[in-house]
Amino acid sequence: MEEEETYLELYLDRCAAQDALVPPRSPVLSPAVPYDVYIPNLSNPETTFNSQLEEVTETSGNFSSVDLSFLPDELTQESKDQTVIRSKHEIEENCKTQSRQSRLPLPSQQDIGLALNSSSGSNSHSHLHTGDADSAQPSPEKPYSLPLASITPMTPMTPVSECSGIVPQLQNIVSTVNLACKLDLKKIALHAKNAEYNPKRFAAVIMRIREPRTTALIFSSGKMVCTGAKSEEQSRLAARKYARVVQKLGFPARFLDFKIQNMVGSCDVRFPIRLEGLVLTHQQFSSYEPELFPGLIYRMVKPRIVLLIFVSGKVVLTGAKERSDIYEAFENIYPILKGFKKT
Amino acid sequence: MKMASTSRLDALPRVTCPNHPDAILVEDYRAGDMICPECGLLVGDRVIDVGSEWRIFSNDKATKDPSRVGDSQNPLLSDGDLSTMIGKGTGAASFDEFGNSKYQNRRTMSSSDRAMMNAFKEITTMAGRINLPRNTVDRTNNLFKQVYEQKSLKGRANDATASACLYIACIQEGVPRTFKEICAVSRISKKEIGRCFKLILKALETSVDLITTGDFMSRFCSNLCLPKQVQMAATHTAHKAVQLDLVPRRNPVSVAAATIYLASQASADKRTQKEIGDIAGVADVTIRQSYKLIYPRAPHLFPTDFIFDTPVDKLPQL
Repeated sequence: MEEEETYLELYLDRCAAQDALVPPRSPVLSPAVPYDVYIPNLSNPETTFNSQLEEVTETSGNFSSVDLSFLPDELTQESKDQTVIRSKHEIEENCKTQSRQSRLPLPSQQDIGLALNSSSGSNSHSHLHTGDADSAQPSPEKPYSLPLASITPMTPMTPVSECSGIVPQLQNIVSTVNLACKLDLKKIALHAKNAEYNPKRFAAVIMRIREPRTTALIFSSGKMVCTGAKSEEQSRLAARKYARVVQKLGFPARFLDFKIQNMVGSCDVRFPIRLEGLVLTHQQFSSYEPELFPGLIYRMVKPRIVLLIFVSGKVVLTGAKERSDIYEAFENIYPILKGFKKT
Repeated sequence: MKMASTSRLDALPRVTCPNHPDAILVEDYRAGDMICPECGLLVGDRVIDVGSEWRIFSNDKATKDPSRVGDSQNPLLSDGDLSTMIGKGTGAASFDEFGNSKYQNRRTMSSSDRAMMNAFKEITTMAGRINLPRNTVDRTNNLFKQVYEQKSLKGRANDATASACLYIACIQEGVPRTFKEICAVSRISKKEIGRCFKLILKALETSVDLITTGDFMSRFCSNLCLPKQVQMAATHTAHKAVQLDLVPRRNPVSVAAATIYLASQASADKRTQKEIGDIAGVADVTIRQSYKLIYPRAPHLFPTDFIFDTPVDKLPQL
C-alpha cells in the first residue's frame, strides 16, 4: 500500500520538479506543491497543524472521519490535501472535498486539481471518485478561496495545453519470480486448491487466488509467472502468496528476482480520433489495417511502448516495465491525438 | 529493330563506336549487326540472337519440343540461369547395368534458389486464379526476391510470404485485393498472411496506402453484373458516407458492400445481401450492420442524377 503512494509522490515530484516551483517548506507538505504559497502567512497555526497532523497519522487505525473543523479554514484545505496523500482511506473520503477545492475560480487551476485528483484517485482501488470528480462540478464552496491563488506560482505545473489531465489506469501486470527449488507439479496440483495441471496441454501448474485476483503459472524448474494484478504492489503480494502456498506444501521455496515484465494500461481521451490522418503523418510508427484489426497500432520509440488507438478515443498502452513509462507515453501521444480530433 | 534488353549486357565489356563512345548502338537483329546511329559505323557483327528458336503453340503437343536452348532467361530474379543440364539418354550406352540412366544430375539446377523458383511458380498460379496481369506478377516476384534476400522472414512459410507479397503488389498497382480474396487463392490463413504482411512492411521499410471503398467498386459490381449507373451510384454513396462519417469504425469493404446493396435495391437489378456477401467476402450480418448506419441518410447519399427504380422511402429496412 505504501508503495502505491510512493509512486504517486514520485510522479508528482517529477511533475513538480519540471516546473521548478517554490521548494516545499517542510517535507511534510512536499506533496501538495501548489498550496505551498499559504505557508508564509500561516506560521503559527502551521505548527499546531503539524502537531495535529502527526497525531492524526499516529492513530492510523481509525481514519473513518477526520474532523478538522477546529482548524482555520485555509488550513483545513491544506490539511485535507495532506491527508489525501497520507493514507488510502483518506483519499477516498477527502476526494470529494478536494475535488470541490480544486475547482477553483481560476480556470487554469482546474487541470492541476484534476490531475492531482485523478492521479490520487488512480492509485486507490476504487475508481469511483475519479468519475465523481469529473461529473459533479459544484460551485466552489470557499468564497475566500485563496486570494493568494492569483499569485504566479499557482500557475499549473505544466502548461494547460500539454497537461492532459487524464491518467491511464493500469489493467494488468505480468511479473516473474524464481522460487529457486525444483518443484513436483503433480504434488502441487493434487494438494493445492484452485490448481489445474494438464501436462499434455501445458507443462505448468495454473494456480489462481482470489485476493488479489491473479493467476500464476508455476513451472517445475521453480520459476513462476504471475498475471492479472492491477498494480505493482499487488503483483508482488500475489507472488508472495503463491510462494507461501508452495512453501506450505513442503518445498523450500524462496523469493528471488521478482521482476515486473509487462504492464498494460488503458484510458479514454473522450473524443473520436481520425485514424487515417494519424497513419498518414506518422507512417513510420503506426500501422493501421482495418481489415486486420480495427485499431491503429502505434509503436512509440521512446519510451518503447505499443499503443492501440481506437476510433472511439480509447487508448491501450502496453509493453511497459515501469509505471512512469505508461504515463510518459500517454503524455507524448495526447497532443498528437488532439491534433486528429474528429469534427 | 529490337534492342537487346537483358541486363547481362552490362556485365560484359560494352562495345561502343570508337568515334562516338556515348552513342547508344542500334541493333539490327535480322542481319545481326550493331550500328552506331551517329555515323552509321558497323560496330558489332554476328551478334547472337537471343530470341526463341522455335515458336511453340499450345495445341502443338504431339510433336516433341524441338527447342534446344531451354527456357527464356530470367536474370532479374534468379541468380542467372546459367547451368548445364544433361538430357535423358537415348542409346544403350547411357544406361548402366541396373537399367538406371547414368548422368542423373538432371535434377539439380540452380539449387540455391530452388525455393525462390518454387515460390515464383506458386505466385504465378495464385495470380492466374484471379486473373492478375503480368506486371502485377512481376512486381510480386520482385518484392519476394527482396524479402527473400533479406532473410528476415526466413522462418515463415514461403507460401505465406508469397501471398503477402501478392497483396502488397496489388495495392501498389492501385487495384487492392482484400485479404479474403488473397486467402481464396492461397492455402495460407488470413491471420498468417496478415502477420507476414506486417513483417514485410517492416523489413522493406515501406508503407502502403490505406484502402478506400472506391477501390473495390468496379470489381464487385462487375462480378455481380450490375450496370454502370448502379456502380457509379454505389461509389458516390460510399464516398459520401465516409465523408459524412456515418460509418466510423467499419471496414471499408463492408461499407462498400452495404452501399452496393443500397444502390442495387434502388435500381432495377436487385441483389440480395447473401449474393453481395459471397462476392465481397463479407458476412451478410456485417452488411446489415453497415446498411443500418447508412440507411437513415440514404436520400442525401445518392447522386443527384440517379434514376430510382424503387423510390428511396420504399427501400428495404433491416
